[in-house]
Amino acid sequence: MDFSAVVLDDELEAFAAEVREFVAAHVTDEVRAEERRTGSGFNLALHKAMGAKGWIVPRLDRARLRILELALEAADAPLITLSTTRLVLSAVERYAAADLRAELLPKVLAGDVRFCLGYTEPDGGSDIAAAKTRAVRDGDEWVVNGQKVFTTGAQNCQYTFLITRTDPSVPKHKGLTMFLLPLETPGVEIGPIHTVGGERTNVVYYGDVRVPDRYRLGPVNGGWAVLRGPLDEEHFGAGHTDGLADLNIGSSWARLQRRGLAAAVRWARTARRPDGSHPIDDPTVRVRLGRIALDVEAALGTPGPMGRVRVSETLIRGSADLVDLVGPEALLPQGTEGCWEDGILDYAHRFAQGTAIYGGTTEVFRNIIAQHVLGLPRPVLPGSKALVGAGTAR
Amino acid sequence: MEQSFELRRNDYSLSDDQEAVRQAFAEFFGQECPTTRVRAAEPLGHDEALWHQLAKLGAVSMALPEPAGGDGATLVDLLLVAEEYGRALAPVPLVEAAVTARLLATCPGPGTGRWLAGNAEGTELTTLALHPVRPGAPQLVPGGAVARAVVGLAGDDLVLVTAAEPPRLAPNQGTAPLAWWDLSGPSRQVLATGDAARGAYRRALAEWKVLTAGALAGLADAVKRLGAEFTKTRYTMGVPIGSLQGVAHPLADVEIAVAGARNLTRKAAWFLEHEPDARPELVPMAFAEAARAATTAAAVGLHVQGGFGFTLESDVTLHFRRAKGWSVLAGDPRAELLAIGDRLAATVH
Repeated sequence: MDFSAVVLDDELEAFAAEVREFVAAHVTDEVRAEERRTGSGFNLALHKAMGAKGWIVPRLDRARLRILELALEAADAPLITLSTTRLVLSAVERYAAADLRAELLPKVLAGDVRFCLGYTEPDGGSDIAAAKTRAVRDGDEWVVNGQKVFTTGAQNCQYTFLITRTDPSVPKHKGLTMFLLPLETPGVEIGPIHTVGGERTNVVYYGDVRVPDRYRLGPVNGGWAVLRGPLDEEHFGAGHTDGLADLNIGSSWARLQRRGLAAAVRWARTARRPDGSHPIDDPTVRVRLGRIALDVEAALGTPGPMGRVRVSETLIRGSADLVDLVGPEALLPQGTEGCWEDGILDYAHRFAQGTAIYGGTTEVFRNIIAQHVLGLPRPVLPGSKALVGAGTAR
Repeated sequence: MEQSFELRRNDYSLSDDQEAVRQAFAEFFGQECPTTRVRAAEPLGHDEALWHQLAKLGAVSMALPEPAGGDGATLVDLLLVAEEYGRALAPVPLVEAAVTARLLATCPGPGTGRWLAGNAEGTELTTLALHPVRPGAPQLVPGGAVARAVVGLAGDDLVLVTAAEPPRLAPNQGTAPLAWWDLSGPSRQVLATGDAARGAYRRALAEWKVLTAGALAGLADAVKRLGAEFTKTRYTMGVPIGSLQGVAHPLADVEIAVAGARNLTRKAAWFLEHEPDARPELVPMAFAEAARAATTAAAVGLHVQGGFGFTLESDVTLHFRRAKGWSVLAGDPRAELLAIGDRLAATVH
């Protein structure tokens, strides 16, 4: 158990200064404004600058990693595509053929090649093993047909880490094959989807897309094992226990809520009620703010799948309550007259809803907790093993 | 709140030594305190023999200052004992004895050595009044029905009040040895006064809250397990009820609450031990969260057992009554939220 402050020696201080300088130079107001406008989760110049620093996959000690991570997050650096690239890279390093790996690795590290996750399908939701997108072998190639949704960052990426169905006749987890499919391939069509959280994500159509076998990752029909690594990391984080890593995958969302809370405290201190008092003088206001501070602290300290649910619900409940407290001006977006602190409360309230869905809904995580933490019996569900409606896949 | 330029560790893991402490007391309570013994100690909620046995293991004395017979153990070690005590619902005044002994070691007075030794050895209890003394207004004191001495804050004075015999038990839903004590009478000894008195009392109250929060987290974990085990073997419509999401998801919510409360409580204990002025809001946070987790865990643990869970025969009713019984002793747990909000108002700029 250790909650002490890390002593920053001269070298660490110098690194922190280097990070601050980098953030000031590359995560500018323009970068943030562009991100608010596009919701792209990506900025090419920033990504390339990360590559030039060697920070696409930083080989740094744990304290430096943490300093870098927290500084970028605090500056609202748009790095969603970087995070998906990192998740996929581990599978590429492990499963890609040697020549493909050798070709891609330097480009990824330089920031020139980026990866997105081709998991979810329109009627599959969080049950990604139910994928129906078909890949059929044709000589040295595969022909892919199907549709994916929520392929976030596809417009920023060169490859998608694609789950396909290669054998619909076996239990659903056993007929999957993974590809690193080049998005430039004819037949791939990317269309934008915009979320209430302000993010841009995508629908991606695959119509008779011919992909050479060299882009297959891992064995035919062995895709689930290939996917497990990145999926577990997305669900549970990397599992460091030195106190310099987040305890759950939603921690950055909890820190967003902490920033929203601080903005609301400043509002409560400066706003005036009709009787001239400040809201902060009202104990019922301080109780509500105290509740949210408690939720944030508890969420950051709750491990694994439990923490992921706790964070989302903290953010959904707390952001709504902060809007109630501050009133209509909390709903004014960034850049509008009279918006409070860059519209952070408006943003957090919209963004919160998605956090209970990304990477598997909170219900999926409750199932994980029930079965793997509490040891409860698996639910007996029709279709839990079978591929429901496989025959109708396109 | 935390400074933005400060990099802090957030490591909740137990060291080998801490794990050894936890395990030793888990084994002790597991062997010595089955629920039959918890029931046998009702309605008083006190088992003299168990209390003596526990004290002999050093549960109280280990975290005293070394000149007072301590063993270099920290509040974190005490917390780990409190978690196991809560898990077992042990009918012993562990938290009151530990906190009051530490307080007496900080503010000794003529003759207080005897009272401190009584707590450390489990022979004679001195307990803590959790509310400031108001003249002529008795208060319910935890452990008060088995104690002959109580320490409390009366105005600017930290006082020790003794009685020839413990007052009568105030029978209560939590089956705790509560009794009414009037600490405003003439027969009291002043141990400290002014800032020293207030500071020492505030510290003792914070320790009581953190340790009780740990006990509540342990209780919550235990009742969650009881509920979960029941749902693995109870069938409806041909399937175990634990496989139904309507049953499994409330239990998952309890797991979420328990995991959070346990870690928050450990963090609060760590800060209280090592940097008490850095994050004082962690104490009210831990207490409010643990009280909420225990209340929810007990309600869900009882409910998933259906009609059986509601019968006195069911052990979950033992947890249910103590979850509330322990949560309200120091006042409304939600009042802790105001303390957090006050701290926010003072520190966020």
